[in-house]
Amino acid sequence: MTDSVPSAHPTSGQNATESQPGGPLSGLRVLELTDEKGQFCGKLMADLGADVIKIEPPGGERCRSFGPFLDDDPHRERSLSFWHYNTSKRGITLDLDATEGQDIFKRLAAKADIILESRQPGYLPSLGLGYEDLAKDNPRLIMSSLTPFGQTGPWRDFQVSDIIHMAAGGQMASSGYDSQDVEDPPPIAPGGGNAWHIGAHYAYIGLMAALYYRDITGRGQYIDSSIHEACALTTEGAIAIYLSTGEVVRRHTGRHASPDQSPPIQFPTGDGGWINTTRSGSNLTAPRLRRLAEWMDGYNMADDLMDEKYQSNDVIQESNAHIVEVLYNFLGSISLEDAWQGGQERDFPWGAIRTMDDLMGDLHLEDRGFFVDVPHPELGRSFTYPGPAAIYNDSPWRISRRAPLIGEHNEEILCGELGLTRAQLMLLAESRVI
Amino acid sequence: MALPLPLEGIRVVDFTWVRAGPWAARWLGTLGAEVIKVEWPENLDTLRQNRFTIPPGVEPGPNSTGQFADTNANKRGISINVRTEKGLELIKQLISVSDVVIENFSSRIMQRWGIGYDNMRELRPDIVYVSMAGFGHTGRHHYYGTMGPAAQALSGLTFLSGLPDAPPAGWGWSYLDDTGGMYGAMCALTALHHRSATGRGQHVDLSQMITGITLTGPAFLDRTINGRESRREGYPPGNRTVWPGAPVMNNYRGPVAAPHNAYRTRGGQYNDWCVIACHSNEEWERLVQLMGSPAWATDGASGPPHDGASGPPHDGASGPPYHGRMDTLQGRLDHQVEMDQGIEQWTLTLEKYELTDLCQANGVKAMAVQSSEDRVEHDPQLRDRGMYVPGEHPMLGSWKFQNAPFKLSESPAAIRRPPPMIGQHNREVMEDLLGLTHDELQDGYQDGTFWPEEMPQYPYIQEAIR
Repeated sequence: MTDSVPSAHPTSGQNATESQPGGPLSGLRVLELTDEKGQFCGKLMADLGADVIKIEPPGGERCRSFGPFLDDDPHRERSLSFWHYNTSKRGITLDLDATEGQDIFKRLAAKADIILESRQPGYLPSLGLGYEDLAKDNPRLIMSSLTPFGQTGPWRDFQVSDIIHMAAGGQMASSGYDSQDVEDPPPIAPGGGNAWHIGAHYAYIGLMAALYYRDITGRGQYIDSSIHEACALTTEGAIAIYLSTGEVVRRHTGRHASPDQSPPIQFPTGDGGWINTTRSGSNLTAPRLRRLAEWMDGYNMADDLMDEKYQSNDVIQESNAHIVEVLYNFLGSISLEDAWQGGQERDFPWGAIRTMDDLMGDLHLEDRGFFVDVPHPELGRSFTYPGPAAIYNDSPWRISRRAPLIGEHNEEILCGELGLTRAQLMLLAESRVI
Repeated sequence: MALPLPLEGIRVVDFTWVRAGPWAARWLGTLGAEVIKVEWPENLDTLRQNRFTIPPGVEPGPNSTGQFADTNANKRGISINVRTEKGLELIKQLISVSDVVIENFSSRIMQRWGIGYDNMRELRPDIVYVSMAGFGHTGRHHYYGTMGPAAQALSGLTFLSGLPDAPPAGWGWSYLDDTGGMYGAMCALTALHHRSATGRGQHVDLSQMITGITLTGPAFLDRTINGRESRREGYPPGNRTVWPGAPVMNNYRGPVAAPHNAYRTRGGQYNDWCVIACHSNEEWERLVQLMGSPAWATDGASGPPHDGASGPPHDGASGPPYHGRMDTLQGRLDHQVEMDQGIEQWTLTLEKYELTDLCQANGVKAMAVQSSEDRVEHDPQLRDRGMYVPGEHPMLGSWKFQNAPFKLSESPAAIRRPPPMIGQHNREVMEDLLGLTHDELQDGYQDGTFWPEEMPQYPYIQEAIR
């Protein structure tokens, strides 16, 4: 490539404490009443500049007890999972079952742009904190309830976790192994807590749609978001295939959804890695095969692929199995890094199956300012967090602070903004309202 | 009276193709934007060629695939050759009267055509431009290409999925085409709000592959902070939270729990599976009762009888309180293999929905593994919520479109139109929006601007240019 290396000036090497132009959501006040179901949606807004106030029960939200923990030391202020999902937020504690807690929540809601909540359907209205109650004093309020199944329907009150959603949504019916990789393979629920991510992405879209509508009309509204429906939407072509032909997808190792036994595309490399070759044998034209063959020939591993007969696309088509076999042997003899980068440099969109180790120090990611240093002043340390998927060139994404400590901003918000005295704060603490 | 749509008045020029990009623009259309999909029949969108989704009895062709239909609902479509001077000029005119441009080409295509962000800004100073290249436009590998599965591999998502001591299972579909698409829509909407607030547009440089990395957060921090690598014993632990015999540690799905697995159910068909997960001892006790308190589950329980009385253990003086060997999380982790076999003996006696209802009614988390057929035909929740919206499609006839998973009370999303047949709306867009005369439109079909000269025209095209 002749292009000079572009880099992301607004975010490159950023330090989360530097003052910078605001993100695209700056100026918005969000109240977040969620757990694992909604905390990622709150993070998306907070890192893009919204002032997100996380409202936790006294003693802290239960996701603080999810590992892994800093130095493997289990502690509610050391959950790396909580840290990741709650960057750039401020935090207060509040018991919503207490009258004083409800009053404080109402005062905060009167000044909020957005409320994001994931409590049991009906819970907030039962406290007089439903959308209609809160919007009386704040008609511009947007409130999104992000719950497992939404506010209505026969499964509304079913109990869930990530894997329950992965089963219901079709992720597991789509994921597993080719039988040559694992004998009699079960459906597999991919890891990482992605049911919550999927729900959060769609909830975010609903919120932004409502926000744009408010920009134009001045009116707020209520949004009923369902994690199950979001997951059910997230299996690529599985639904369309069924609607078209009545067929359901087969599970196979790491490739596009299809109802047949499509050819494997995940191959071992010489150093014990794995590469995803994106249908390596298909879409091979004569010039593209030549490019591959010349590369392999440099290692004396092209077999007969340099032969002139492969200038014919028909011959290539007929020889697909042989070509894939030669490629398989070649990739099995070189390193993972050489394999995927070598493919990419020759315009084959291949990907190494990378672990976290492999991502560290990736120069492309560094060019994009992806590795973000976040200070934890109470520990006297800084840690490296993942950066943004997208660079907004006029309103940068940034992590403005680490996740809040339990009740860290009680005084700042309850006294500083709502005007409570320190004596009142003490009484609230002693009666465990905060 | 129909409710208003949230993005009414927004016009989107949609250069996207395949899956991630079109899925992004699909949601903008579903929220009310006027989306104009730009295509050229010699570089056909691969979803128009998806052989798996042409219903039996439907004439094959680029307007007949079910997957294109659902991925491109709520759009209009034009066919235009951007590589001709005239075609490019018309595209520039279109951009000048639009709010959003979205594309998922490789990173320098738009610049090569002369419609990179700087050019767009001259045409429309507050344009919102969302690019969705695999590696993004910024960074030394911006020209690398990705399809969803390769992007998943590179992001670390693939390695999160599978069984230990086996190859990575990854994701059996293109998760990052779905989710990359969602991010495209998220970026456009976020930038539109920013434009409302400031009057300024911007370029949002999204990377499909990096989207995946942002979804590995706890694993990422476990590596950067604790130095723990994910190539390790017992990882990934399949459907369990900890693999039997491997060191107990959090594996990033949520809290450690057992049981936490997939089990076969009665019927023995390909998708006759369910999952059961217990996140507390109480949930486990309820499951044991549902299973009829089998000996393998209660064995070793030498404590007081289950008579509701609570008190100190009989021999109180020393040692821990009495426990059945599976009464604690540690005990269930220690006996996972036997426990899972025992549970499956029970689940095999029940049909998967029967099991789901029975468990959920008794406070145990369980769920049928649902195929696409199950979701469309058997899932009572999706039916109740109207997930699959009936509509008419010119080639496919009665069709179902996937609804939005959020219900906005004042301005809900809506399926308003089927996907475009290729080039279907050239006349509307060129004459009504860009002001071409009918003669000029016809000329464009003569000179190869609107349709390849040698390619036969579909009847609806001939009708429009007659």
